[in-house]
Amino acid sequence: MVFSSVVFLFRFLPFFFLLYFLIPKRGKNYVLFLGSLFFYAWGEPVYVLLMLFSTVADYVNGRLIWRYRGKGRAKFFLILSVAVNLLILCFFKYADFLIQSVNVLAGTDIPLLDLPLPIGISFYTFQTMSYTIDVYRGDTKVQRNILDFGVYVTMFPQLIAGPIVKYRSVAEELHRRRIDIFGISRGAKRFVVGLAKKVLLANAIGQLWADVSAAETAELSVLTAWIGILAFAFQIYFDFSGYSDMAIGLGEILGFHFPENFDHPYVSGSVTEFWRRWHISLGSWFREYVYIPLGGNRKGLPRQLLNILIVWMLTGIWHGAGWNYLFWGLWFAFWLVLEKLFLGKVLKALPKGIGILYNTVVVLMGWVLFGLDTMPQIQGYLGAMFGLGGPLADRRGLYLMREYLTLFVIAAIASTPLLERLVKKLEDSGTGWGIALYRLGEKVFPALLLLLSVAGIVDAAYNPFLYFRF
Amino acid sequence: MEEKSNAYFTAAVIAAILLIFTVADLFHGDRIYSETENRLLATRPSVTRKAVFSGKFAEDYEAYVTDQFAGRDKWIAIKTQSDIALQKKEINGVYLGEDDYLIEQHLPEDYSDLQEAKRTALLQKLVDQWDALVMLVPTADNVLTDKLPKYAPYYDQEALLERIAAQVGGDHFVDTLGMLRLHANEDIYYRNDHHWTSLGAYYGYLAWAESRGEEPYSYRTNAMTTVSEDFLGTLQSRTNLDRKGDTIQYFRGTVKRPVTVTYDFDRVTDTFYEEAYLETKNQYGFFLDDNHAFVQIDTSYHNGKTLFVIKDSYANTMIPLLTPHYERIYAVDLRYYNGKLSTLMKQVEPENGMDVLVLYNCIHFLEDFSYTE
Repeated sequence: MVFSSVVFLFRFLPFFFLLYFLIPKRGKNYVLFLGSLFFYAWGEPVYVLLMLFSTVADYVNGRLIWRYRGKGRAKFFLILSVAVNLLILCFFKYADFLIQSVNVLAGTDIPLLDLPLPIGISFYTFQTMSYTIDVYRGDTKVQRNILDFGVYVTMFPQLIAGPIVKYRSVAEELHRRRIDIFGISRGAKRFVVGLAKKVLLANAIGQLWADVSAAETAELSVLTAWIGILAFAFQIYFDFSGYSDMAIGLGEILGFHFPENFDHPYVSGSVTEFWRRWHISLGSWFREYVYIPLGGNRKGLPRQLLNILIVWMLTGIWHGAGWNYLFWGLWFAFWLVLEKLFLGKVLKALPKGIGILYNTVVVLMGWVLFGLDTMPQIQGYLGAMFGLGGPLADRRGLYLMREYLTLFVIAAIASTPLLERLVKKLEDSGTGWGIALYRLGEKVFPALLLLLSVAGIVDAAYNPFLYFRF
Repeated sequence: MEEKSNAYFTAAVIAAILLIFTVADLFHGDRIYSETENRLLATRPSVTRKAVFSGKFAEDYEAYVTDQFAGRDKWIAIKTQSDIALQKKEINGVYLGEDDYLIEQHLPEDYSDLQEAKRTALLQKLVDQWDALVMLVPTADNVLTDKLPKYAPYYDQEALLERIAAQVGGDHFVDTLGMLRLHANEDIYYRNDHHWTSLGAYYGYLAWAESRGEEPYSYRTNAMTTVSEDFLGTLQSRTNLDRKGDTIQYFRGTVKRPVTVTYDFDRVTDTFYEEAYLETKNQYGFFLDDNHAFVQIDTSYHNGKTLFVIKDSYANTMIPLLTPHYERIYAVDLRYYNGKLSTLMKQVEPENGMDVLVLYNCIHFLEDFSYTE
């Protein structure tokens, strides 16, 4: 089930929360667990078993690691747990990619498995690994209650698109959490903002990218190519951060506090900064469970650069089973290494605007690798961006610019901290009209955004059948 | 304390919106048909083990709930209005043009050279074998170019027509585009529908007469009969905007003398114009009873001449104007006719031969024209 659907908003959500709030404290985890299974099974019934298997496996491994903590056997069960997770992930996500690569490289003809990708598998396997690793390291206590553990793995808000919640950050709340009106109202607002980001911004501007990416790259003018990739940049940011907002908001209504996942990445002055602000929970996962164990920056510069390379190849491939994702990761590794070596110092000495411009160009070129999946397409598109294809500007580019200008302006403003700062300023203004404006906005905006988002969702299925077309 | 009441208020408003529409939706009966979308809406899927486990049930159920959602038409209207507020000039493939025109969008990339070559080759064959006259009518975006939104892209039908004219030869080609552009400031296309109006068809008729060197019948453009003033066509449907309807008119000259119209060898009437359609959404069906595979028209002009028209719906407004020139007119619509075209033509051709006219708009020609031997 996706959040931005009529079924979720007007079927699942009301019934689930009615049950969740009405049932006494002891029962809430049952409701949450069963509700989450239903949520996951909707449209994907079979893979629920895979998720349950993963849950039981890590529950058992966690307990065994805890029992043998400090002994050699603990390490065995840790390796077992990590291996099971990675095997599941690799089999369902990467098997066809590997087969395809082998076929191409070795000229073989092994048939593909053609398995549909289990939704959220990249997220929940990473979450459960964080649990067993933390238990092994002694960073968290074991979870003996399988229901509480099941709730952690299957919890529907962050199940399909993160944030990747480390076990220890919610361990306490799994067992005992505070549900009050402040959390509910903050969470509800956050959810609505996320929904609006997804429906009103990401989906709307995604139309432009859908148009441009479907065209022959040879026909793109420089203008069209840049507008197109800029649209994709906004689409993916508002889509992804919108989903995170919805997850965090829903979590807050339930009484959980999930980590933040995005912090206005597009105003970063360097690629290093960008990755501290983009998909924060993934970056922190790789940092904690891969980069630092590999030695991080403690084993000399060459080793650090190698570590960066490894982490970014993994980050790239985590996003999807395809060569383009690997290159996407390497692309960032390249700039991160340059920044480590000297570029970072140069950027620091320059005005921040130049850093933002540099980061934007790097990130936009990265999105070409991410958004298109064949090499000829990627090459053609990058070529078009730098004038190797069509003219500098054409009718189509000018038209798209005019047609989407307002949306671009709104998206650009919404991706900076300006709005949040303005709201904060009004709230703290202390003056009569500032507060009054804040109070009014607080009352009107959530409702307005929610209604507009629902209109967008219903409209997406507007499908006039024109049988009398001719 | 104020903090707390504010929190209650926000939570209550959001919960209320979700709950009210949930309840309203649960108790609001299903519609079978949507008038605005002109289609059957999805119905409640049945629960079977197979459907549930394959995920098909979920898919169907989502389509069902979304189709049947309470206030669906209103939600869509809100979305359209918010797009307009964002300065969008295109909704669902329809341009919001100047002078209150809705203009159907045809993007250059949607029409390939291959498609054009295929249709043109078939057309050439027909022209060679039957000495046919080709009349391809440009759509509104190529004629009302100054009414399009700024920089709006459109498929260049002028270039297409030049290529086709060069292919079939000037003697076989009617320059409709030139004629229509001369009259681009008149109401030659509907504002809510993708068809040309009777007036547009009249200028098409003049271009036809000119290219054949015939004297056009003196239809009076200032004394047409109005049959509807609330025509909301396909383009209004696609944008779902609240709009003023178009006027549908016909030329009195076309009903001066009796005709016999036979649809699909079966139903016989004495008029080109079917008023029943004016009560439906599809008011353009008024002309020649909407779409039929085969229409035979017997006129009262006993000159012994026969015309065979291979056509789309644009022709339905122009064919009545051709009656003074022929004793009998056949019209075939290839989207509905399943037989072999050449067989049909040979079958109906009288001993003294017949004129053959290919009458389509450019887009329908690229999408639908064919000639089978």
